[in-house]
Amino acid sequence: MNRLADLTRIGLRWDPSGLAGLTGPLLAVADDLDLAFRRLAGRWRAVEERYPAALPAPPLADHLRCFPHQVTFPVALDPADDNLGEFADGPVVGADGRVALTRTAPVTAVLTPAACYHVYAGHRGERLTGARYLTTRNTCFRRETRYLALRRQWSFAMREIVCLGTPDEAASFLAVARADVDQLAALIDLPLAWTPATDPFFRPADNPGYLLQRIAPTKYEATYDGRLAVGSANLHHDHFGTAFDIERDGRPATSACVAFGIERWLYALTDRHGTDPAGWPDLPAAATRVVAGWPR
Amino acid sequence: MRSEAEIRTRLRSFVRRRAGDRPVSDSTPLLADRILRSVHVPELILLLERLRGAPIDVERLRPGDFDSIDAIVERFGPAS
Repeated sequence: MNRLADLTRIGLRWDPSGLAGLTGPLLAVADDLDLAFRRLAGRWRAVEERYPAALPAPPLADHLRCFPHQVTFPVALDPADDNLGEFADGPVVGADGRVALTRTAPVTAVLTPAACYHVYAGHRGERLTGARYLTTRNTCFRRETRYLALRRQWSFAMREIVCLGTPDEAASFLAVARADVDQLAALIDLPLAWTPATDPFFRPADNPGYLLQRIAPTKYEATYDGRLAVGSANLHHDHFGTAFDIERDGRPATSACVAFGIERWLYALTDRHGTDPAGWPDLPAAATRVVAGWPR
Repeated sequence: MRSEAEIRTRLRSFVRRRAGDRPVSDSTPLLADRILRSVHVPELILLLERLRGAPIDVERLRPGDFDSIDAIVERFGPAS
């Protein structure tokens, strides 16, 4: 049970447009979750990287074709004085909440759709002689047809652990990461099950990526209580290695990532353990116990 | 619907054109070995639809359906 009023009492600041703020106990447990995931990333000595909220659009052309319904663009006004003046002297924001935009500048960037995309761009052109492990967190943006606090948001936090390596290194990474997530979930009494999944492609029947995911699953979701995906394990083969010219021993690198949706973990935790912080598990301690069991 | 032999012949030709110099048999894992990639899947579905003389509902595709020529024939061939 985690009704909106109860969640608000413990720190949720929800706007029905799909935007959530956190304060108080919910913010504290969100930070604990992130710390727990970073401890899991420590298995691979994953290097922390931090990126901005947007990234240049050109390398994401494929993504934009596949997910145009989910993408959000950062838009700015054309900086010409007359245009800015027209905007400032106008209504600025209408009664319906719409910004009264005047002429806009060319859109050349995309608000982060997935935290790991920055990592591939950030390692463009590298020639790897061993597997590289990175971890990053970002605020991500995905448009949806409807929004639900903590479960389906326009803007949400995503922590990811990324492997760049050979096909065998990526496969091993995913297997171990899934086992670690299972152990963490067991320690905090959160029922999770991994299930094959497909991404929400636009016009899926015509999309080669969707068809491939159906016949050769590359995405598995960690589903809470059979109804909410709180994380995913993804194999990209050499898609990003080729797109960003990243090589491992002379061949396009294979990449894989494990992603955690922080707000969805908050939902699952409060649904399972209630909205009284006194009843919540110690997340960093649980991650430490997982870590202490290495190597299994 | 073509015969199984005809379907295998056409599939081998389709796969070999995309395999380069890599050896391919009817049991070679086509997707796991990255001989076929996502861009090839729609073409392969169109080819199979022509050979079967019937459409393929992509929502009924299952993991493993295109793992190898043997798997494709078993799933979409005359005996399917």
